[in-house]
Amino acid sequence: MEEKLLDFIRNEFLEDPETELNAATKLISAGLIDSFSLVSLQVFIAKEFGKNIPAPKITAETFDTVNKMIEVINKF
Amino acid sequence: MVISYLFFGLLAITAIIYWFTSNQKIRNYILSASSLFFIGFYDSNALIVVLSLTVFTYFFGYLIKYKDKKGLYLFAGISSIILLLVIFKYLGFLEKTLNDIIAYFSFNSGIRTIMIIPPLGISYITFKHISYLTDIKWKITENGSFGEFLCYSSLFTIYTAGPIERFEKFRPQIQNRIEYSGAFIGQSFGRITIGFFKKLVIADWIAHFANPVLNNQAEYPPLIVLAALLGFSIQIYMDFSGYSDIAIGASMLFGLKIMENFNYPYFVSNISQFWRNWHISLSDWLRDYLFFPLSKVSSKKIWTVFFVPIIVMGICGFWHGAEWHFAMWGVWHGAGLSFYQVWLMYKRKNKKLSALAQKEWFNFASIVLTFLYVTLGWWFFI
Repeated sequence: MEEKLLDFIRNEFLEDPETELNAATKLISAGLIDSFSLVSLQVFIAKEFGKNIPAPKITAETFDTVNKMIEVINKF
Repeated sequence: MVISYLFFGLLAITAIIYWFTSNQKIRNYILSASSLFFIGFYDSNALIVVLSLTVFTYFFGYLIKYKDKKGLYLFAGISSIILLLVIFKYLGFLEKTLNDIIAYFSFNSGIRTIMIIPPLGISYITFKHISYLTDIKWKITENGSFGEFLCYSSLFTIYTAGPIERFEKFRPQIQNRIEYSGAFIGQSFGRITIGFFKKLVIADWIAHFANPVLNNQAEYPPLIVLAALLGFSIQIYMDFSGYSDIAIGASMLFGLKIMENFNYPYFVSNISQFWRNWHISLSDWLRDYLFFPLSKVSSKKIWTVFFVPIIVMGICGFWHGAEWHFAMWGVWHGAGLSFYQVWLMYKRKNKKLSALAQKEWFNFASIVLTFLYVTLGWWFFI
């Protein structure tokens, strides 16, 4: 799950795919991804992992790093 | 927000009774009773709306949680709440618009215009109730008891001007007994004082200079109007964030932590960040219940990048008031969000531009540009 999320984020949202990215990299608070990107991420998670994460659970607090995303995904 | 002697008198009396009561359930009813008295004192129609809407929404929350056809109940519940909002807030506007169209085409007769005064806080309570029903459907909140929902629905400290708190965050706070702490009083007074300073000292002082110019723009040179608009930009921030400080501070007196509504929105480098930091409770609401669902209607870029932001922000504008100029203000921001997305797409493909955007001076210029864009947008708002 971690690798799939990292690959998706790297390819879809990062300006430079060479940018260092790991499961602890801050994404929303660092301005790397915004609401528009989060919608794509929500759709990706639904398609890839079969989990529909409601929008109020996709916030800077809960979705800022891939580690946090995995925590949320596992709860649903 | 109705800031008055009654508000602070009621705040003090309610807080004393509240803290002398040990049972949290009874405390919740004390808060509700004070809130209903406050709402009814200023607007008896609003009191009827709050009570009936609270019963209605709670009942639909029950149906969504415990019955089949959850989607149908959600649709019926939300449609009814929106219909109520339209009748009270937008019917007069719709009739006026229709009359203007009829007059434009020189037909002989218009339709009768009914003057409806919107009940106090109708925009805020309807958004709170829509989020309540949707969150039950999405299984991110429990229904709570009727007492808890009534307290959430009517809480007078945030009733008239927000923040638009979520039941999911509010309910856990009032489920169990809140232990008294002297810090509540200190923090509350501190926050209310900051709010008053922002509102009465800064905002009102700027308004003293800016309003006469903005109310008679034709009589002043463009540069003076622009200066007044810059002043208004600061004024509206101080005014609204000051109200939010008072609302959050007043809630703290009961040991309640209400969500923050502003986070230095004029020190951000793009319009998307601005909306993450300006009127946060509203922008989060729009994001969760409009932007996300609408964005998934189609994956075509023209829809997600252009139509969705403009539709959502247009609604955001109309939410502020039933006038075309508010919608224009929203569309201005929607257009800003769209162009920012286009800029991001372009930047991703252009390494030189991407490197340039990393420079410190570029970031500073972006902050200034964002502030100017938002400031020019206020011209539609006033």
